[in-house]
Amino acid sequence: MQKTSKFQRRAFLALALALVFSLVAVGAAFGQAKEQPKEQPKEQVKLVGDKLGLPGKLGEAVAKTPAGKGPGQIDPSAPRGAFGIPGAPDISWILALCWALWVGWIFSTVGAFGGIMAGVGHITVYGLGDYAKTFAKTSPALNKTLTDSIRTSNQFLVGLSGLISTINYLRTKRLAWPLGIALALGSIAGAVFIPILTGGKISFRQYQGWFGVFVFVVGAVLLYELTPRGQAGKKAAKQAAQAFEKAVKEKKDVTAQGIRVGRFGLTRMTFTFFGVEFSFNPIWAFVGGLVIAAISSFIGVGGGFLYVPYLTSLVGAPMYVVAGTSAMAVLVSMLTSITGYITVAKAGMDWGLIGIQLVGVFIGSMIGPRTQKYIPDKVLKIIFIILALYVGLGYFSQGFFGQKWVPM
Amino acid sequence: MQILDPILILFYRLTGHPLVDYYLGTFLLALLTVLVGELTISIVFRINKAHLDKLNARVEKMKRLSEEALNLGDEKAYRAINKEGNDAFGHLFFNKFGLSAASLWPIFFALAWMQERFAEIALPIPWIGWEINYFFFFLLCYILARIFFGRIKRHLPYFKSMHRMLVAYDHKGVI
Repeated sequence: MQKTSKFQRRAFLALALALVFSLVAVGAAFGQAKEQPKEQPKEQVKLVGDKLGLPGKLGEAVAKTPAGKGPGQIDPSAPRGAFGIPGAPDISWILALCWALWVGWIFSTVGAFGGIMAGVGHITVYGLGDYAKTFAKTSPALNKTLTDSIRTSNQFLVGLSGLISTINYLRTKRLAWPLGIALALGSIAGAVFIPILTGGKISFRQYQGWFGVFVFVVGAVLLYELTPRGQAGKKAAKQAAQAFEKAVKEKKDVTAQGIRVGRFGLTRMTFTFFGVEFSFNPIWAFVGGLVIAAISSFIGVGGGFLYVPYLTSLVGAPMYVVAGTSAMAVLVSMLTSITGYITVAKAGMDWGLIGIQLVGVFIGSMIGPRTQKYIPDKVLKIIFIILALYVGLGYFSQGFFGQKWVPM
Repeated sequence: MQILDPILILFYRLTGHPLVDYYLGTFLLALLTVLVGELTISIVFRINKAHLDKLNARVEKMKRLSEEALNLGDEKAYRAINKEGNDAFGHLFFNKFGLSAASLWPIFFALAWMQERFAEIALPIPWIGWEINYFFFFLLCYILARIFFGRIKRHLPYFKSMHRMLVAYDHKGVI
């Protein structure tokens, strides 16, 4: 099976764009870190001076935050809210459950967009974003620690939700090991570097801006799929698949031959699947894994929706092989990234909140299939395109320009 | 979690020896989360079975067609089927999120409770000098509890029939 240069060109273009994105994000983190001293208040203010029993960097940051009842201050006597911080938004469990129900409903009807909505929940619906922003000048360390907690919470919710399916998918034994190893090594590198390089260095505004860019890109892809060109591509694929199905009578005796590893080199690896040889450059698989894991770790998403199209384009292998292989990369990079945030960046977690959200996700996933038939697929897609463009624009403007271009 | 606190802390008062109680209590807590998670996933699975069956049938069909196209060397059909199969796989993959959430949710309530009770405790690892906190120790116990439960569930009432059903589906890659 020959790889087309068109597919490769697209894959490399996407990779180059993603690489630029990662470098700019990391660069921005360092820029922000250097700017920090300018933001120190000149007058001596009374600090909280105690960790208030809060773990890790969260406790340290709280101790260095000005004490008081105003915005950007912490009143130790106030009732404890999110992450156990006194005076932080007290997220109602009913609200968290309802929002997660919506997220679970999306996962079971539309798919990947549920991850974005989980992020919107943490940032906007629960009020954590606005709360983190109040510390931008009074306690930059707390602002950044809260940002790490928010993106790790996103990754927990999205990444762990797919853990069981990921593990079981690997059991189907359609894993192209050479490809998987090259990709997983890159993923580990990306997922290790991002928490080390950006943990505790990204302000909430920066994170919100980049999250907005990400949502905007997802919205643009969904929009493209609805255009006549995007529709034509899908229709052609559907027709070709149906034509093939008619042409080939059902053969029940097709023996699964699985994957056989062939050449194992530094610049070229090969494997055969159903007797057909596939070759790829492991360096590109490594770089792809690194960049995709870096983006996923930075934004706080799973990354599976990026690995699959990238590998389908790079190797041209069957999606069942690619999906299994990329599933391993998702699992490895997600676990590495979460461990990095908790151990290296010492992000504080609100475990109870994640638990409530998972309950909402599984209830939503039971409601989804029963209500999906009442809403046409196209209507659903249009709703999510509008949502993506709206949220993307809102977060982008707030994050990079400090203005709300759309009411939020 | 305050309501459950008097019950959960009983796991940590079984022997009277602080270190042994911490090991044993955390393992029993992890076992409880595995049990509750397995019970929930079985309920969600039963409710969503028809829907998962439908999605799985579509993925299976595209998989078979893809293999046949590859076998016959029909590149055009192979690419088209891959594209269609991507869509089918995506739907199944994200539908399985609900199952994962159903299985994992108790872990986080256990961690929330442990954070309140044992956040300051760090267990030293002999010879290496590192310390592990409640989070990593719980995860370690959870893995052991999962392995343990995996061995005994085929002998437990209710889980016995569920186990048979899940094994049948495991071959299809649904769960």
